[in-house]
Amino acid sequence: MRATAALLISSSLILLLSPAPARAEGKIAGLEVAVEGGRVLASLTLVDAFRHRLRERVDSGLPTSIVYRFELDKDRTHWWDRYLEERTLEVVAMYDAVARHYTVNYKLDGKLVDSRTVHDQQALAEAMTRVQALPIFSLANLPREWRLLVKARAELGSRTLLSIIPVAITTDWAESQKFRIPGPP
Amino acid sequence: MDFRERLRRHRKDNRLIVGGLAALLAVFTGAFYLVQRSRELPAFLVTNRVLLFVLWYVNVVLILSVLFVLLRNLFKLLIERRHRILGSTFKFKLVATYVGLSLIPVLLLFAIATELLRGSVDRWFNTPLKPVLAQGEAVAQALYERIEQDDLRDAERALAEVRWYDLKRPEERLRLTRRLRELLAELKLDVLAVYEGTDFVHAVINSEAGIPELPEPGRDFLDEAAKKGRAVRREEPPGGRGGRLVLAGVAGAPVPTATAGEKGAAPLVVVAGTRIAPALAGKGDALIQGFQAFRQLEVQKDDLRASYLLIFLMVTLLILLASSWVGLYLARRVTVPIQALAEGTRRISIGDLGHRVDVDADDELGVLVHSFNRMTEELESNKELLERSNRELQATNQRLGGERALMAAVLENVAAGVVSTDAVGRIFTCNGAALNLLRQREEEVLGRQVAEAWADPERRKLAVLLSGAREGAEGAAGTATQELHLVLGGEWKTFEAKVTAMRGSDGALLGRVLVLEDTTELIKAQQLAAWRDAARRIAHEIKNPLTPIRLAAERLLQKNRLNDPRLSQAIEEAVDIIVREVTILQEMVDEFSRFARMPRPRPAPVDLARLVGETVNLYQDLKPGVAVAGAVAPHLPGIQLDAEQIKRALINLLDNAVEATDAPGSVTVAAQPIDGHLEIQVSDTGRGIPAESKEKLFLPYFSTKGRGTGLGLAIVHRIVADHHGSVRVEDNRPRGSVFTLELPLE
Repeated sequence: MRATAALLISSSLILLLSPAPARAEGKIAGLEVAVEGGRVLASLTLVDAFRHRLRERVDSGLPTSIVYRFELDKDRTHWWDRYLEERTLEVVAMYDAVARHYTVNYKLDGKLVDSRTVHDQQALAEAMTRVQALPIFSLANLPREWRLLVKARAELGSRTLLSIIPVAITTDWAESQKFRIPGPP
Repeated sequence: MDFRERLRRHRKDNRLIVGGLAALLAVFTGAFYLVQRSRELPAFLVTNRVLLFVLWYVNVVLILSVLFVLLRNLFKLLIERRHRILGSTFKFKLVATYVGLSLIPVLLLFAIATELLRGSVDRWFNTPLKPVLAQGEAVAQALYERIEQDDLRDAERALAEVRWYDLKRPEERLRLTRRLRELLAELKLDVLAVYEGTDFVHAVINSEAGIPELPEPGRDFLDEAAKKGRAVRREEPPGGRGGRLVLAGVAGAPVPTATAGEKGAAPLVVVAGTRIAPALAGKGDALIQGFQAFRQLEVQKDDLRASYLLIFLMVTLLILLASSWVGLYLARRVTVPIQALAEGTRRISIGDLGHRVDVDADDELGVLVHSFNRMTEELESNKELLERSNRELQATNQRLGGERALMAAVLENVAAGVVSTDAVGRIFTCNGAALNLLRQREEEVLGRQVAEAWADPERRKLAVLLSGAREGAEGAAGTATQELHLVLGGEWKTFEAKVTAMRGSDGALLGRVLVLEDTTELIKAQQLAAWRDAARRIAHEIKNPLTPIRLAAERLLQKNRLNDPRLSQAIEEAVDIIVREVTILQEMVDEFSRFARMPRPRPAPVDLARLVGETVNLYQDLKPGVAVAGAVAPHLPGIQLDAEQIKRALINLLDNAVEATDAPGSVTVAAQPIDGHLEIQVSDTGRGIPAESKEKLFLPYFSTKGRGTGLGLAIVHRIVADHHGSVRVEDNRPRGSVFTLELPLE
């Protein structure tokens, strides 16, 4: 009994002392999805994220990543949406100060799917903050009558509070329009 | 044995403690090693986000552990204090001291070290290093940019010529090749290439530049050049010989010719390249990369600082956890035995003598626990002994109570009055007979001093007797006897008072017992008997002289009637007899008169030796063969006596002694002080006195001689009594009698 109480108190304190995600450094705008060939293509733009902190980090030559988390949910009207699947797109940028170009790699669930080289920050910002028609989810085996939606959130690294507490920087979850799998029911 | 029990046992195992401390030391050593190695690790690894979060969670767990250990113990201590468990206050103070002594220095050290670390990290990036590195990087970039500008200029110059060639015609291409070679040499380039859009046309390479093959600028480069008009690249030269290859491309439309330059033709792109020698390129790259490395550190400054602080916090928390635990452990090692002892003391105080302290300790506290248990065992055995003694005492008390009740009943029922006092003269028992004799109530007597209880002039005689006894007037046997005459309630009373000292086994005086016997009636009876005897004796004594007188008178009458011629002779003889017998009667009457008229003694200082000497001299050579001697102790204290009366008493005693002693024999008069009294003894070696006569020896008119008045010893008794003394008679050894006179010296 006493051990249970101690465990509960400890868990509560851990939750209280856990690094809370920091908000309000960028937001996802224009999350749109399209269904094509049984796959969900997602497009989004991350605005107000490529600021001084991120630019400084990229220009220093450190690998700098923005992680986009996509979540496919089943829409439920009077209850929380039902989670179905999640995928992660990691956009990693690295600057070569001698060659003076940026290499941007795209990894979907850890697998490299694209790589680009850009030579200025504007192109870099566009490469890192714009996702265009990315095929992320397969709709096979899902009932056609379900109403689905995609949620997305971006993780922009971390910073520290009070010099020691690491805080993850994330955007709010953005939701796409709700959609159904096209075709005859 | 369950887990708790095993844990409890192992908790006291010193090997476990040493093992725990060794493990902690290993952890600290490992942490220290990691901190040392972290300098060698790349910054992005040290500042890795995952590492930061892991470190933070480890610290959170450690913080919770420390809080849990401290709060749990604090809570337990508060509960114990609230429930007023013995020893909890002491335990609280000890734990607070131990934990405080470990917490405060560690926290202070952490605060100071944290601030130092924070300041140090800030100072690293405030040094003049950054401008120096920035300048170096700028120089390197300027070098590359200069070469880029030169290559762009050269590429434009080449483009200006190349655009006039009709590349569709083979002879023109040969001419272009020759011209490109000339331009390569003229412009001191290492690479000069011509593209039509992204299609390769021709290129020349400086064979001395160390570039074994034509570098591929890439489609992006050509597109950028075509789109923007110019493009530059810095890349590794092919062949792997090091150095850096700067490529600059410019684009321009070809001059329209008959075969080429029709509308929509691809632009011409001329790429000029210069290879920078490895030594120079290496220095330039190092300058750029050094500045980049500094910028990386700067960007990661917060994370770096957080990493170091978290590692330091982790080590601090480990120390804190260890020191708190050790402090609590040490406090517990001290307080548990003391608490057990306090609890044991409490249990003992409420009578649980069977309680034993069960604490494993092998130090001084162990000795204390052992001594406590031994003391408790002794207390328990003593208590059993005491209880047994108490039971025996109760039985004895019951028996004594019965005996006391019996004694009280006896005392209440005896005719004699019995009064007892303690050593200081306070009356604590007085039986009913005594109260009746003394005409007093119990509350007037009990608990009072004798002087207070018997303050009136008559009863004061009793107080005087007890006071005298208290001052040592008892005889050798601890007993003093005196006849007292008191007037109580208008009646004349005579008491035989006997005071006996009660002494303990060590001889200490415990108190006195006064036994009063009312002898008034007895004395009256004795006096009546004495008077009868006296009357008989007087009648006898008077009759003795009267008979010769009557016979002498009858003889004279007869002689006269017969006219006896010897009448005159007979008259003379008769008168002689009558006169003699009348004289005897006269002496007898005088003796009685003297006894009756004996005056009160008039004490005065007396030289007792002289008095005894003069008296003894009267009897020297009185009876042949009987020696009479006196023996008076020298240096007698001043004595107040009536010398005439004492001499009279001695003469009476010596008369009897000399008469009772046959030759050869002796009579001795001895005088000496004993226990505050003057003791005068007259002893003889005569016939002695029968026991039945001793009781009546001092009564008036009692005589064993069959003649005399019987007043001699009565006079002795009267004289001694008037001097507040006593007289007794005892057998002399081996024969004879001893008369002892005890007279108070004061």
